[in-house]
Parts: sequence; C-alpha cells; structure tokens
Amino acid sequence: MTADSVPFSFSRLSLIASNTFLEAVRQKLFNFLLLLAIGLVASAQFFREFNFGSSELKFIADFGFGALVFFGSALTITTTAQLFFSEIENRTALTLLAKPIWRSEFVFGKFLGVFAVIGVFCALTIGLMMALLWHREGQLMQINPESFEAGRILQYGDLFMVGVLQWLKFGVLSAIVLLIASFSNTNLYTVVTGFFALVICHLQYLARDSWGNVDSIILRTLVRGLGYIFPNFQLFNLGDEIGVGAGIDPAVFGRITLYAVIYIFVFGGLAVYSFRKREI
Amino acid sequence: MTTPVPAISIKGLTKDFAITLRGVKLRAVDDLTLTVEQGQVYGLLGPNGSGKSTTIKVILGLLEATAGEVRVFGVPSHRVESRRNVGYLPEAPYFYRYLSGFELVRFYARVCGVPRAHLEARVKEVVDWVGLSKAADRRVGTYSKGMLQRIGLAQALVHDPKLIILDEPTAGVDPVGSAEMCELILKLKHQGKTVLITSHLLAQIEDVCDQVAILDHGKLIVNGGLLELVGQRDRQALIVDPLSAEDIEALKGWLSTRGHALNAIEQPRSRLDQLFLSKISRPGQNGSQGGVGSNVVPEATPATKTPFNQA
Repeated sequence: MTADSVPFSFSRLSLIASNTFLEAVRQKLFNFLLLLAIGLVASAQFFREFNFGSSELKFIADFGFGALVFFGSALTITTTAQLFFSEIENRTALTLLAKPIWRSEFVFGKFLGVFAVIGVFCALTIGLMMALLWHREGQLMQINPESFEAGRILQYGDLFMVGVLQWLKFGVLSAIVLLIASFSNTNLYTVVTGFFALVICHLQYLARDSWGNVDSIILRTLVRGLGYIFPNFQLFNLGDEIGVGAGIDPAVFGRITLYAVIYIFVFGGLAVYSFRKREI
Repeated sequence: MTTPVPAISIKGLTKDFAITLRGVKLRAVDDLTLTVEQGQVYGLLGPNGSGKSTTIKVILGLLEATAGEVRVFGVPSHRVESRRNVGYLPEAPYFYRYLSGFELVRFYARVCGVPRAHLEARVKEVVDWVGLSKAADRRVGTYSKGMLQRIGLAQALVHDPKLIILDEPTAGVDPVGSAEMCELILKLKHQGKTVLITSHLLAQIEDVCDQVAILDHGKLIVNGGLLELVGQRDRQALIVDPLSAEDIEALKGWLSTRGHALNAIEQPRSRLDQLFLSKISRPGQNGSQGGVGSNVVPEATPATKTPFNQA
C-alpha cells in the first residue's frame, strides 16, 4: 500500500449505511409495512382460540411470526431494491462514487443500512408480540392457574432467538437482492427476481431431499449444486420449537447464525464483484 | 525546475458502449488526446452526444475506458486515489432530498475525509461562499435549480480539491444563476484551481475559459487557447465617440496614406445577458437571500487548511 492509497474505511461504510437507513425510514413504504405488521400482530389477540390454554399463546406467537415473515420479506426485497435504484435513477450515485470511496463501501453500506431498517422492523414486531404474549399469559395464569403450576410456559428467550434468526434470514435475502440489483437495469426486475429467489430459498430443502433419488448424475449434480447455491430458509423457522421440550438449542442457534453470516458475505462479495465494473 | 504534472492527461481515449446483445457498439469517444494543465480553466465543448459527459465519467472512474489512458494528477483514473483531489458537480444534480443543505455538504465532507475538528467550520465556509447560508437549513428537496447547482458546487469544494469538474453547471439555470456560477468559476480560477467545465452556453465559456476543446461525434476537432482560436490577430477595433460622415471620410483618407483600410463601421452593442442582469434585482444586492458570497474564500482557511485530501 502506497502512502497515497485510499484504504477501505469503516467510517465511510457507516456513513453510507446511516444515510441509507435515514432514507428508508423516511419512506412511506417502511412506515406502511411496519404499521401493517404491528396491526396484524396486535390483532392476533382478537382471533385467538378461546380455550384459555397454551394453544392460545401458541396461536398468538404463530400469528405474530407469520406477520413478521410475510411483511419482513416484502419489506426486505422492496427496500433493498428501492434504496439501491434510487441512487442510480436519481443519479446521487454519480456524485457519491465520484468521491474517493470504494464500490465495496457503497454496496456494503447499502446492505448495512437496509439490515438496520429490517432490524428495527423485527425488533418492533417481536417486541410487541412478546409484550402481548407476556400480558396474555399473565391473564391466563390468573384465570387458569392449574395449567401454569410450573410458572410461565413460554420461553421468551427462545422467542427473541427466533426473531434474531428471522432478521438474519432477511439479511441473507437482502444480500441476494443486492446481488441481483448490482447487474439488473430496473427496480421492477430486481423486485420480481427477488421474490422468485425468496420462493426458491424456501423450497430449497425439497431439492436437497430429492437429489439422492435422482438417477441421472448430471441432474443430480445440478440439483445438488442448486441446493448449495441457494440458502435453505427453512432452517431459520424454529418457531415450532418454542415451548416444546428443551426449547431452542443455543448450539443450533449459533450454527444457523454462522450459516447466515457466511451466505451474507458470499452474496455481498458477489454483489461487490458485479457492481465493481458497472458503468454508472 | 520540474514541470508540474498535468491535472488531467488523456491519451488515446476510446470508449465504446454495447448497444445490442449481438455486440454492436456505439463509439462515444474516439481516440481522444488532450491535456489540462494545473491552474487552467478548460472548456470542453460539443453538441449533445459528442462525448463530453462520457469523457468526464471516465476521468472520474465512473466508466472504464475501452482503450487509452486517463490520468488525474498522474494517477490512473480507475484508481480510487485519483479522485482524492477532485470535486465534481454533475449535470442537473439531484441530491438526497430529505437532507438539509448543511446536512448534505456535511455528509460529503465526511465521505471525503474532512477531519471532524474542522468539519463544521469548513461546511459553513463553503455554504457561505456559494451564497446559500440562509437556505442551508432547508431540505434540499425544496431548492430551485439554481440553488441545487450552488449546493452542488459547495459539496464539490468542501474537501478543498485542486481540480473541479463542472458538467453543464448552468443547464436549466436562469441568467442570474448562470452569471453567479460564472463569478464563482472566476474566483476559483483566481485561487489557482484547475476547472474543467462543459457547457452549451458558449458565451459563458468564452468569459471564463483559458483553453477550449471541441468534440464532435467523440472526436477532438479543435483544441487550443481561447485567444488563439477566436481572436483575430490581424485586425483591431477602435471604439470612438460618434463621427460625422466628413470625419469618417477624413479618417479613411488618413488610414489609406498609411497603408491601412477601414473595413467596417459598426454600432457597438452590449450583450443581452448584460442588459438583463443590469435591469433586474439580483439576489444578494438588496440584502435578501442568495448571491454568491464574496468575502469568504472556498480555499480552506488557515484554521481549516489541513491536508483533507492527503489524509
């Protein structure tokens, strides 16, 4: 490295990330989806089964996670694509990339900004859901104390871990969408392809399960390759483990976290490589 | 004494764009060679599609050259280091609409590595200098085109670059805004900055540039000093009080005895833009918002003059 070289800067990275975050939270879409998700989570208590038992709490938790996954996925894909293309289409990227910054700082700055936005979304949604569950569980403990002789049924730490895993899953999805955006010409193409990628990643386990049954070596290799290229989003769905047996194993949580981080770096790295030569 | 390295050195630059999947290419810049020396105000002229903006984007590392070499202060333009001493105002600039003028300039100052200790003073300095201090707390989304150009110039200057690239800085701006932009460019020139400017308004280029290059279909067709190119060295104009017909005849006779000819008698005219500017009230002249700040120099003051661009 020469004295005149410009090193990779985490300060610039965080500047771009914070600016991206600011832009996102000032968009109507974020506020709209956040309100919808919070509304849906809050409404779960009106649609519960009235048996005053643990299944009611499970229903509220499932409903809350459903809202988180649905709106979180939509928010991740649209926000990542929108925040990337707003820089290109509004030509603010011209001014920014004409400064002494690395394109990797730009791409990872964008990623971290979106990741922070999704983090806020997940924190608010999970926080509300946990508060509702805590409140309802307290009511049920008074109404039906024999069902709660051993204390509270729900493991709130597990709920938190599932929320974190969903956040990480959205991080992987955001990195995939950034990779698509890095070579795509339009926002619409990126969003549509992002939703396809989401579906593939959710169904990826089917490919993994089936490669052992495929006779053709070429097809088997192809299916196996696809199974490695696309992350398995089913791994992140540990909601069913909540309140069952010993709950979520911290070692499993750690392995899934590592799995997500590796995929984020791989897809993020590919996005940087693709964007490096992009003509602005 | 060593010769200073040119601010911009372009050798044999060619840039092709693929326009079909079958590999058909459009040549935007064709074997362009030119040099911009330090301290010059250099005008890059040409009709739409002549390759001016493409050339600027290659200089800024936003596009990759198909062939040839571009260096900025001796550093190849594709390297990040080459942009350390460059400020850029894009054509019809769009900035983050949700930021205020101060926040926007502060953001770019931090991106360029202006030290935190001098950040606020430097931001205020350049915002004052471009005459936007009274509007700097407003969101950029509420700015007029002229104000956008001025805040754009502020962000281009905030890290005290040696080279400033202005792509159509007066496009879509009214005559007042254009005149103010020209004043700012002349101030930069007096401070020894190198300025590369593209414009369709040739009269303005003529007012501020030392050197011009004209591109057409990506090729360099004219390059040289402004006086060399448009000055008529074999002729002179004398502007005198009104003469009677007899006086004119006498003058012709006097000139003819000395071997000269009176080629033309014309009524001198002031330019329309000068008339316009003299008749309307310009911002800043009556104490209202705007007008270019004239008392504050954009060059980093001793307090803020740290080597931002060498940091």
